[in-house]
Amino acid sequence: MSELPQRQTDIGPPHYEQFLPPVIKKNYGKWKYHEQLGPGHMVHVAESGDKVWTVRVASPRLLSTDTIKDICDIADAHCDGHLRFTTRNNIEFMVDDESKVEPLMKELTEKGFMIGGIGPRISNVVHTQGWVHCHSAATDASGLVKALMDDLGEYFTTKSLPNRVRLAVACCVNMCGAVHCSDIALVGVHKTPPRIEHEKIKNLCEIPSTIASCPTSAISPDPQKKSVKIKIEKCMYCGNCYSVCPAMPIADPKNDGIAIVIGGKVSNLRSNPKFSKLAVPWLPNTPPRWTETVAAVRKILETYAAGAKKHERVGEWVERIGWEKFFKVTGLEFTLQHVDDFTFARETWRMAATFKW
Amino acid sequence: MEKDELKKIIYELVEKSMGKKKLKQSDILKKVSADHGVDKSEVKAALRELMDAGELIFTYFGGSFVEIPPKE
Amino acid sequence: MSMKHQTPLLDELEKGPFPSFVKEIKRAAEHSDYAQDLLGLLELSYKEKVTHWKHGGIVGVRGYGAGVIGRYSDVPDQFPGVAHFHTVRVNQPSGFFYTTKALREICDIWDKYGSGLTNMHGSTGDIILLGTKTENLEPIFAELSSRDWDLGGSGSAVRTPSCCLGAARCEWANIDTMSITNEITQHYQDEMHRPAFPYKFKFKVAGCAVDCIASIARADMSIIGTWRGDIQIDQNEVKNYAQSGMDIQKEIVDMCPTECISWDGSELKINNEDCNRCMHCIAKMTKALRPGSEKGATILLGSKAPIVTGALMSWVIVPFMKMEPPYDELFDLVDRIWEWWDEHGKNRERVGELIERLSFTRFLKDVGLDPQPAMVKEPRRDPFFFWSEEDVAK
Ligand code: HEM
Ligand code: HEM
Ligand code: HEM
Ligand code: HEM
Ligand code: HEM
Ligand code: SF4
Ligand code: SF4
Ligand code: SF4
Ligand code: SF4
Repeated sequence: MSELPQRQTDIGPPHYEQFLPPVIKKNYGKWKYHEQLGPGHMVHVAESGDKVWTVRVASPRLLSTDTIKDICDIADAHCDGHLRFTTRNNIEFMVDDESKVEPLMKELTEKGFMIGGIGPRISNVVHTQGWVHCHSAATDASGLVKALMDDLGEYFTTKSLPNRVRLAVACCVNMCGAVHCSDIALVGVHKTPPRIEHEKIKNLCEIPSTIASCPTSAISPDPQKKSVKIKIEKCMYCGNCYSVCPAMPIADPKNDGIAIVIGGKVSNLRSNPKFSKLAVPWLPNTPPRWTETVAAVRKILETYAAGAKKHERVGEWVERIGWEKFFKVTGLEFTLQHVDDFTFARETWRMAATFKW
Repeated sequence: MEKDELKKIIYELVEKSMGKKKLKQSDILKKVSADHGVDKSEVKAALRELMDAGELIFTYFGGSFVEIPPKE
Repeated sequence: MSMKHQTPLLDELEKGPFPSFVKEIKRAAEHSDYAQDLLGLLELSYKEKVTHWKHGGIVGVRGYGAGVIGRYSDVPDQFPGVAHFHTVRVNQPSGFFYTTKALREICDIWDKYGSGLTNMHGSTGDIILLGTKTENLEPIFAELSSRDWDLGGSGSAVRTPSCCLGAARCEWANIDTMSITNEITQHYQDEMHRPAFPYKFKFKVAGCAVDCIASIARADMSIIGTWRGDIQIDQNEVKNYAQSGMDIQKEIVDMCPTECISWDGSELKINNEDCNRCMHCIAKMTKALRPGSEKGATILLGSKAPIVTGALMSWVIVPFMKMEPPYDELFDLVDRIWEWWDEHGKNRERVGELIERLSFTRFLKDVGLDPQPAMVKEPRRDPFFFWSEEDVAK
């Protein structure tokens, strides 16, 4: 193997300034306003009168180096070698002259990129690793996102909604992607407790830390077997024990499934940030197209689009009409699982005599 | 205290607790600093040399700990 | 190269308008054994509906306790290419701006030493290089770091800080998010790379209350830009909005949560004393309204996902802090918080959980912050409050 270059430590990331397109560097901190010109393109105007046009396209987040190089070719041809990604995994191409916008959009369209995601519509789906890279995944993430966006693509590229709708997918209840504050999010869930492999546990696991890992104290020692036991009625299938002790597998293909939570937001616009709440406790895990889940999301999205006032986010709409009415207008079933019995349960019960029929 | 001596103390502390209690970096800083009256930053510098030399490593097991690398 | 494994279920996901991750893996598989076997392994997961990854092994680069995530397949014999499939987290530049030259450089290193697959970006903000073998880690690190790239955080350490693009292209940014994030990252290199905390600690920086980076939901410390003083109004632009069809009464006045705006058809008035700076009016009339002129940030602490005790969002600990280099006031506060957390926190206890366990009042006292109404939604409901020695008459 050839000689390796000298490594350096603790240098941190390269300074961002060297990556800024010249028009952005020049007008840094001096932007005046921006206007949306289409579902995937907008212009920002600076105090100086300079303008930067941005075209946004979807990405599956999981990208091959070959595709990144293709994207670089486009940025070289149109954007003087600059580009950026958004937090929601979109790719943004920026140009400093209006005449450059059309050729850019033409090439992107020809190459099959989906332009959109700006303004009152869905943007790309924040998601986690799933079966592509995680030991804890109850379902896949990339596949769910693909199935969902294939179906809802029109809300990214053309159709508008009352306000932005932020979608997210987490492949297990660890919810690495902060789905707990999204408008509509999917979470992979288990329905059955872990199985204890008594033989393996001795070698693989530290008993005290395994016991300590359980948030509901369902695990206790089983001295006879030199192992642990689970109080089944206390287990809420979070899989935390499996993360600490590989001899307690929780994956159960027949019972693992997908929950839908809705109504969260992180922005402070109008109403305070909100947590997402449970809309559907379980749908079957049906790769590669997850038709039941995709249909349920579409149902919720379309009911929202029909019922919300302009600028209302999903959570604001539901709070205005009331959750009892939400279940009525969506036709979703209300079950025992919807009633909170975890840490903050009491706050969620209706301590008033007012509700809608 | 000489750095080499400090390194020895740290190494022995980690060695002694292997298999009993996993130590976090801050456990080591607190204990060695309290037991031997040296500043935490000195302990940290000594620990870092041990790490850079690969004599001790970070492990991840439901939290990040300092341990002796497994023998090949 | 032809595909090594049959993947009928995954092939279904090559169809449809949205860009396909399966196509991406197949492209990489043209020249990567890792990607070939990843397809096989993933197809198996799709068929059996279970994951085929497991924990195990200890991997990293010399001297660091962060930046690499070990991953092994539980069916290595069937798919030797992904027997080892470790992730390298590369610290992204603030704001996710790149030159094509820099991106190509990273791609070339990754083609040489890894799977050719990436996430742009991970939920932490890092560039995720997805899948390599243990023996390639040192070479990758040497190649990257000699070109001025460094690894991000993982484990019980400071996680890679990230931010919205702020002043680079957003007129609402009250603080220079990219500069602050870069400074925090550089200031805490040791705390990022050599885990010393009870658990992870994340910083996220948003330029305004729109919070595009979702800092309030997923950072232990959320730094959110804000202002003091009056919202600046351009009455002519307000009229332009009205003329171009905006129903100002309905869309702006009626939706202001504090009911502090009035509009008589020719002049928009804001009672700034009552405004809680939610950003609604500014976001909807971006040409007409601008934030007030004294800029700074609100510092919030404590959000985390539901594991283990339920989800938390960050809450206010400093209502207003000036945010100017060298950011000493911020670093000083962070150091005091970490010291307190280090002293009292249990393994795997986030700082927000610790505050819940020991109480917010204790935190305020120990860290030296004065209580203010801005820190609570409402005062307590119960009469069970504590006093200390000095409050009691002798
Ligand atoms: C109430 C909720 C939210 C609002 C109002 C909101 C609003 C926005 C807006 C306006 C943008 C820029 C425009 C766009 O992408 O279309 C944005 C970007 C973004 N949002 Fe959100 N978002 C919300 C929730 C979330 C959530 C829950 C997450 C993540 C879990 C998130 C992550 C992001 C990211 C990562 C970006 C890109 C920022 C960047 O590139 O630096 N947002 N958001
Ligand atoms: C009609 C109006 C608006 C459109 C189309 C629009 C779109 C955008 C977009 C797409 C960006 C670029 C975001 C990015 O770089 O990721 C942007 C900057 C931003 N705008 Fe506006 N904006 C509009 C008004 C608003 C409103 C009303 C909001 C918020 C609620 C908003 C939020 C943002 C955010 C969050 C960013 C910065 C996002 C980032 O960090 O990347 N914009 N605007
Ligand atoms: C080399 C081995 C291992 C690697 C590389 C590894 C990697 C990881 C990673 C990357 C995370 C996510 C944390 C983050 O976001 O940085 C994680 C989480 C976790 N891992 Fe592992 N893991 C390993 C071994 C183990 C073992 C052996 C156990 C337990 C017996 C374990 C228990 C956990 C637990 C409990 C979490 C919870 C998340 C957390 O505390 O952050 N890990 N692991
Ligand atoms: C017990 C709890 C948790 C476990 C066992 C866990 C485990 C893991 C593992 C194994 C990964 C690596 C996935 C991979 O690339 O192979 C990961 C990634 C990650 N985790 Fe967690 N995690 C836990 C909790 C959390 C929480 C509470 C958060 C955030 C609040 C979080 C945030 C993240 C993020 C941001 C990533 C990167 C994900 C991505 O970019 O796709 N994790 N986690
Ligand atoms: C340990 C503490 C407390 C005890 C033992 C206590 C006990 C009582 C009792 C026995 C009554 C009479 C109930 C009745 O005759 O129907 C009462 C009434 C009342 N208590 Fe308390 N109380 C306590 C704390 C408080 C606190 C902290 C508040 C207010 C913040 C409060 C507000 C009231 C009010 C407003 C009433 C009158 C209710 C009404 O007649 O409308 N109490 N309390
Ligand atoms: S959400 Fe769960 S399955 Fe998905 S990456 Fe995080 S820990 Fe893994
Ligand atoms: S799955 Fe969760 S609740 Fe059930 S035993 Fe394991 S840690 Fe406890
Ligand atoms: S958080 Fe505020 S300042 Fe930052 S990009 Fe979003 S709207 Fe702009
Ligand atoms: S920022 Fe929000 S609270 Fe303040 S005036 Fe505008 S809409 Fe009202």
